[in-house]
Amino acid sequence: MRSLFSDAPRVTLTAIYWAFIFYLLLPLTLMMAMSFKDANFVAFPIGEWTLDWYAKVLQDKQFLEACLYSIMIAAATTLAATVLGVWIAMLIVAEGIKGQVIIFALACLPAVVPGMISAISLRIFISTIDMPTGTAAIILGHTVHAVPFVVVMALTRLRSMPGNLVDAARDLGADSFVAFLRVTLPYLGPALFGGMIFCVLLSIDDFVRTFFLGGYRPTLPMLIFAKVQGGMSPEINAMATLVLVVTAAVGLYAEYLTRRARTR
Amino acid sequence: MSVPKYSTGMAKVVNSSLYQHTLGAAVESRIGRIILLASVPLLWLIMLHVGPIYQMLKISLLSHYPVQPGVESHFTLANYAIFFQESIYFTPLIKSFIFATGATAFTLVVVYPVAYYVAKIVKPQGRSKALLLLLVPFWAGELIRTFSVIMLLANRGAVNVLLREIGLIDRPIPMLYTSFSLGFGLVYLICLYMLLPLYSAIEKIPSPLLDAAADLGAGPFTRFRRIILPLSRDGIVSGCSLVFLTCIGVFATPMLLGGPNTVLFPETISSFFHGASDKWPVGAAFALIMLVTALIAAAIFMRLVGGSKRRAI
Repeated sequence: MRSLFSDAPRVTLTAIYWAFIFYLLLPLTLMMAMSFKDANFVAFPIGEWTLDWYAKVLQDKQFLEACLYSIMIAAATTLAATVLGVWIAMLIVAEGIKGQVIIFALACLPAVVPGMISAISLRIFISTIDMPTGTAAIILGHTVHAVPFVVVMALTRLRSMPGNLVDAARDLGADSFVAFLRVTLPYLGPALFGGMIFCVLLSIDDFVRTFFLGGYRPTLPMLIFAKVQGGMSPEINAMATLVLVVTAAVGLYAEYLTRRARTR
Repeated sequence: MSVPKYSTGMAKVVNSSLYQHTLGAAVESRIGRIILLASVPLLWLIMLHVGPIYQMLKISLLSHYPVQPGVESHFTLANYAIFFQESIYFTPLIKSFIFATGATAFTLVVVYPVAYYVAKIVKPQGRSKALLLLLVPFWAGELIRTFSVIMLLANRGAVNVLLREIGLIDRPIPMLYTSFSLGFGLVYLICLYMLLPLYSAIEKIPSPLLDAAADLGAGPFTRFRRIILPLSRDGIVSGCSLVFLTCIGVFATPMLLGGPNTVLFPETISSFFHGASDKWPVGAAFALIMLVTALIAAAIFMRLVGGSKRRAI
């Protein structure tokens, strides 16, 4: 009787977990299924299945251009955010520097400010420095958004680094810059790579900053937003499914890499 | 000065006189090192992490912006006063708070058992797989997740079609473009931000503590109330703050899933930037009102729930 009673929470929690997984995956599965519907309106049941929408999307110049544009912005954002994030993290862990708590708080600020307000403040900011809306403004906005995450990831790794590694390099004649390049950076490697992929996903995902900072050239989320507002069609489902599959694959790969690095 | 011989390309760079006279010389002195280390980060943090908020504050106190020729811009508090004058301005903020608070509370209740399950019931070898399964939708992105909710709730979406097939309803229940679809979409969008803080807090609770309590006769409910809940307080505080602040700032989801009765504050703010351009100061003031009230709400919550650390230990 007692074992039955003490097992009840375990069984309930297992059921809740799987119910939650079902809840998480159901809308996305429905969305993917709808992309195969052989009709030009979105409605269940699906009835006839087709691959035509994919053929259409893959020939859609607007979609392909938006993909390229998003990837370009994500690459530039990732590069800038990684350099800045590591630089800030190095400053925070450096010895003999005062006010590390304040620097850390400032570095995390953009992660706490709600997305909409961040977008508005950046829109105002670029106008005060006479920067036009467009690609450069989007990259700037995305970088501000991504830097805190790189800082936190780099800091976690830096704090677990044995201090004598750099000392050894210094004793062997490397100056601090060389020691950073040859010892600290390789040590950061795997954590940094996970952080970089996170930046890519963050940038490709971002809608609100792009909406306020962008020009007329649509990024992927802007294109999907415009299409959804313009009217439903399984074409959007095919587009979204393609994006989802690619980003999930990238995310899984990053997860695999960081896990492999951790177990080594 | 003896420079060790590397056999790599870096050696050539390091030994070159250009490097020796610039970077190499700079990192040799303490001042040089500090300047190299601190200059760019401090400049970036002050210019781009603080700068935009500061500019927003500055413009919210101006009568006109962008400045037009012939129009004198002067200091004013009128932009803030506008907020309190019309209900079409402050009701969206109240609605934003209701939706964000509701979504946060709901998410906490739903995600807590899931986080507990993964952290304490799943065996350690299986944990990362159990977490990974939860993270898959997270990679879909804000817009795609919002869009996929439409598939479920539309008039000819899965739920309505299913209910009609079973024979429970004759005509579809209008769920999309209502408070319900918006709440559902918000929870779907943000529930995973709750998971990770809760998971890492619950995982840290030592299992022997729970076994000891069980041996002393504490039932599952008592163990939860007296041990698990107090010890996971940090996770609850950071998860709820994260979800609340994210929820408040969501822009696309209310526009796609909400209806005419669910205009939230971000949409109100946005109207000042896409309409007549001289309303920017009002938009800036509204954005600041939102930022300050949201941060105060989060701070009060942290104080109420997380303030009593001593009791937790």
